[in-house]
Order: sequence, then structure tokens, then C-alpha cells
Amino acid sequence: MALLTDTSSSAGAVKSRVVRQYNFAQTLPALLLILVFFVLPVLALLLRSVMEPEPGFGNYAELLGTTTYLKIFLNTFIVSALVTVVSLLIGFPVAWALAIMPSRLSTVVFAILILSMWTNLLTRTYAWMVLLQRTGVINKTLMGLGLINEPLPLVNNLIGVTIGMTYIMLPFIILPLYGVIRRIDPAILQAAALCGATRFQALTRILIPLAAPGMVSGALMVFVMSLGYFVTPALLGGTANMMLAELIAQFVQSLVNWGMGGAAALVLLVVTLTLYAIQLRLFGPARIGER
Amino acid sequence: MTEPFLHIEGLRKDYGIVTAVQNINLTVERGEFMTFLGPSGSGKSTTLYILAGFENPTAGDILLDGKSLIATPSHKRNIGMVFQRYTLFPHLSVGENIAFPLKVRRWGKAAIDARVREMLRLVRLEGFEERKPAQMSGGQQQRVALARALAYDPPVLLMDEPLSALDKKLREEIQHEIRRIHQETEVTILYVTHDQEEALRLSDRIAVFSKGVIDQIGTGPELYANPSTRFVAEFIGDSDFVTCKILSMRDGLADLSIGAGAPIAGVPVHGIATAGGTASLMLRPERLTLTRGTAPQAMPSLPAAVLDITFLGSNIHVAASTGSGETLSVRLPFGHPATAGLSRGDTVFLGFDPAGAHVFCG
Repeated sequence: MALLTDTSSSAGAVKSRVVRQYNFAQTLPALLLILVFFVLPVLALLLRSVMEPEPGFGNYAELLGTTTYLKIFLNTFIVSALVTVVSLLIGFPVAWALAIMPSRLSTVVFAILILSMWTNLLTRTYAWMVLLQRTGVINKTLMGLGLINEPLPLVNNLIGVTIGMTYIMLPFIILPLYGVIRRIDPAILQAAALCGATRFQALTRILIPLAAPGMVSGALMVFVMSLGYFVTPALLGGTANMMLAELIAQFVQSLVNWGMGGAAALVLLVVTLTLYAIQLRLFGPARIGER
Repeated sequence: MTEPFLHIEGLRKDYGIVTAVQNINLTVERGEFMTFLGPSGSGKSTTLYILAGFENPTAGDILLDGKSLIATPSHKRNIGMVFQRYTLFPHLSVGENIAFPLKVRRWGKAAIDARVREMLRLVRLEGFEERKPAQMSGGQQQRVALARALAYDPPVLLMDEPLSALDKKLREEIQHEIRRIHQETEVTILYVTHDQEEALRLSDRIAVFSKGVIDQIGTGPELYANPSTRFVAEFIGDSDFVTCKILSMRDGLADLSIGAGAPIAGVPVHGIATAGGTASLMLRPERLTLTRGTAPQAMPSLPAAVLDITFLGSNIHVAASTGSGETLSVRLPFGHPATAGLSRGDTVFLGFDPAGAHVFCG
């Protein structure tokens, strides 16, 4: 069985390499398109970050040497980490439930997930504003139940950003996790139970280690996307916890400072690419094949 | 009378309006090798899964050493199980897999190490401790699964078609291993299979499952010599059936006639027979005699026309059609004088011992 899988997967690798070489010429137009409309503008922006207002690394020095900016960096990381952790905590049980529920039910849940992803981002964020505001449904319900006397501050702060962003990021963590969990044979967990493992032990010692690749790739995707998120923090966040993308927007739109905007964008890009490289290194396609 | 080791009492499992198993009554002695034999969907796996605690029975009870298991969750039953599919933990090495049940039982490290080595010796996989399951063959993986299931000395070991994913040669090899391990450890084994040969080779006793009930429980020879239902007769060994008419009944023996032939006296009857009714006479290919020319005098016989002759090494297999068009098979040793010069279309007489045949009604 193991031998069979090994040979078939290596045969598959050889085959896909051949196919990849063969198809390379045909992808040239697409690559050209990406080069002209994606890579070149980014390079131009990066160039401006070291050329404006004068050549040199002045923009970077200012960006990394000013407490206000550093606070924004820190805040960006805190919000992203918080969103990632909350997404994982909610996404893991949902992915697990999706993997074990009857397919007719899971189709419906998937439809809801995908529909939410297709719905306009701005609409969804405004919807949260309505729900979370002082006179929103959530505060009114809680006050009606007598649980609170004063409306909770749920919007224009960290709570609002975390709720709004977690909601948007959830599908990106549920889908890869679902893929990994579904491949785990339920009989493995039955075996663990008969071995004497409690549900908690089966979760921590068997299920989570087996789902780790999905968790890491999902978490990293969410973290990286959160780092550069703009709309939700701008609408649901407060001025006290501005994020990097908002800062970039402010540099470019309000201050018309392309140099600083480009510098901040490069910092974001470097952090993102570094995290992506770490993920590839730890849980990349080659590593998954080994398992 | 002493309390039986494992006692299954009136077990029943319904899924909505479908009854998966019902009226399962079974006792198993300590150290016994009991096999649940039956086709897929006969309820044998469901019964095993109820024993494992993965399913709750609709009714009935399971007593192990006199204590009910029903309310105990799987992880507290202290039962071992080897599954049909490979269920080793893929992220753990072979040694860690075997150590897993001991770690959750909080054994000390030295005790675990010693036990893992002992188990690897038992399944003859010394030196494989560091391997990952994916680096091992299917047969090796199932042996590790066996070691993992036996590591904590469970009183009962459940095996759910553990060899069905393996090829025939490997399967026979591991059957030998299972027999040896059963003898060495003296663990009580409940084994599920649909393969009669596997059941006969391994088991002390066999419970034959059909359509959610146990048709018969007995040793292999008992089931072969004395099947209580037509299903058991068909499932254990080869068998052919001839329609017959019951003439009269006494003491569980019937007098019957086949077609226009002479009455045949003293055939054991199973089921509710009524004089004048029709029934099926079961004949085993290896217990029929074949004569040519004239009918044998010492025993009843059926005239038949040879349809086909197949040479099978040590045996020769003759298929013949009776007057009513039913096909009977005869198995004769190679070189049997009656087979010399036998060809298709020849008329032969198939003789049998009435006391060794069986009549099934209904």
C-alpha cells in the first residue's frame, strides 16, 4: 500500500513536470500581462520610496524611527494575530463539523460560506457596523435582556475590527482545514478511543497534529491577508488602532506622499513574503508529499 | 454453572425503521477465538461495533465478566481492536503508535519501552520501531495495529476484517501469525470476516450471520456436518440443492422422493416440514459417489447426464444434470476409476448416504 502510493505520487510528479515544461510557452501572454500591470507598477512604487523626496533611505528611517508609525506596525500585528487566533478557534470546529456532517447538509453550509465570500465586502462591513453600533441589534438585545445597563462599545475599536475581520477571514481558514480534516480516516479516531484516549486526548494528540498543515497554511493566509487589510479596519476600527494599510492610504491620498507610502508598502511586502517563505519551507508541497 | 466470560444478550440495533441486527445471543469463553462469519450487511460488523462502543444497541446487553459494558464509553472499555482499514496514527512512528495506549494510561517510560519491545517481538517486527506507518507494507501495518491493540493486555480483542485489504498470499501468512499470537497471548478474540476459509482456519467457534440474525453457532466441523439452515449449508463448504417432496416424517428424519424416483428414507430435516410439501435436499459434491452403467444397490442415487468435466489438480470436478434439470456437482479424487473415459452426455448415477444429507424446508 505504502509502496504503491509512493510510486504513484513520484510518477505523478514526473508527469506534472513534463506537463509544466510543455505548457510554459503557452503561459507567456499571461506572464507578460502580470509583468506589465502588476510587477512593474509595484517596482515603480518601490522606486519612488527611495527616490522621493530625495534619493536615499530617508523614508525608511522615518518610518521605522517614528514611534507613531511603529505603533501602527505593532497594532497591525496585534490585530492580525488576534484575527488569526479567533479564526482558528472558530474555524477548526466548523471545519471538523463540515467534514463529518452528511454531505447534503455540508453542501448547504458551503453554499452559505461561498455566498458570504461573494457578497460585497463593503456591504458586509456596513452590516456589521449596523449590528455593532450603540443602538444596534446586539446592544439592544443585551439591554433588553437586562444583561447590561449601558451599551457596550463594540465598534470603532479593537473588538469591532476583530469581529468584522474574523467574519471575513473565516472561509479562508475553514476551506483548507476542511480539506485536511476530510482526508483523516474517522476510523483512526475510533482506534484512538479504543486505545483509551479521551476525546480531549484524541483531539490534542491525534487530530490536531494531523490537521496541523491545514491549520498552519490557513492561519498564515489569514494573517498575511489581515496585515494588508484596509476596508474593515477603516470602517470598524477607531483612530487609536490604525492599521498599516490605512497608513499607506493616508500617505498616498491625504498627504500625497508617495515616497512614504511606497516605503510602508515595501515593508508590508517583505513581511508577507518572509512569512510565505517560512510556510513553504515548513509545510510546502514537497513536505506534504513526505507525510 | 459459572458465569460466561463474555455474554451478549438479546442484542438489537435499529437504524430508523431498518433493523441491522436482532436477537443476538452469544457466550464466549475466556481465551476463545470466535468468528462472526457472514456476507456484507448481515450485521456482523454492527455487532462488533456495538462491542467496541461505537454504536449503542437499541436493546439487549453485553456482559464482560458479569458486568455490563453498555454504559461504558469506548475509551474506558479496555478492549483492543484491529480495523479493516489501516488505522495507525500516520504522524507517529511504529514505536510511538504501540506506546500510545500506554501513554494515555500513564505508564512509566521504562515500562513503556520494555512493553513496546516485547510487542514488536510478538509481531516479529523488531527493528521497525523508528519507521513511519507510510514506510511499511499493508501487512506490516496490520501487524503493528495488532501490537498496539494488544499492548495494554485487553481481555478481548476485536478484529474487523483485518486482512481484507491484503492479497491472498499475505493474508494466509498473517492468518498464521494471528493463530500463533492467539496461542501465545491467550487473548479472547472476536473476529469478523466474510471469508469462510479464513473463519475455518482461525476459529474455535463460528457464528454464522445472515440478515441481522445469527443462524447457527458451532465449530467448523459442526457447521459443515450439521448445518441448521440452508444459508449455513451454502456458506460453509460447497453444496447443491435438489427439489424433493416430503412423504412422511418421524424423529426429525424424513422419507422423501425426488421426481418419479424411489422413496428415500431417513434424511435429517431442518425447519418445519409437512408431509406432502416440497423441500430442498442438500448434497455436498465431495460426499457424492459416481457410478456408471447401473445404479448402486447400497444407497439411493439419482440418474444424471454429465454436463462438464473439470480437472483441478488433485480433484476432478464433474457437473451433471438431473432429470428435472437441476445441476449437481461431484468431486472425485484424481484417478478415480469412474472418471476413466467419462465424457459429456454420459449417463451416471450419483449416490449419497441419506443420513449425511440434509433437507431444508421453507
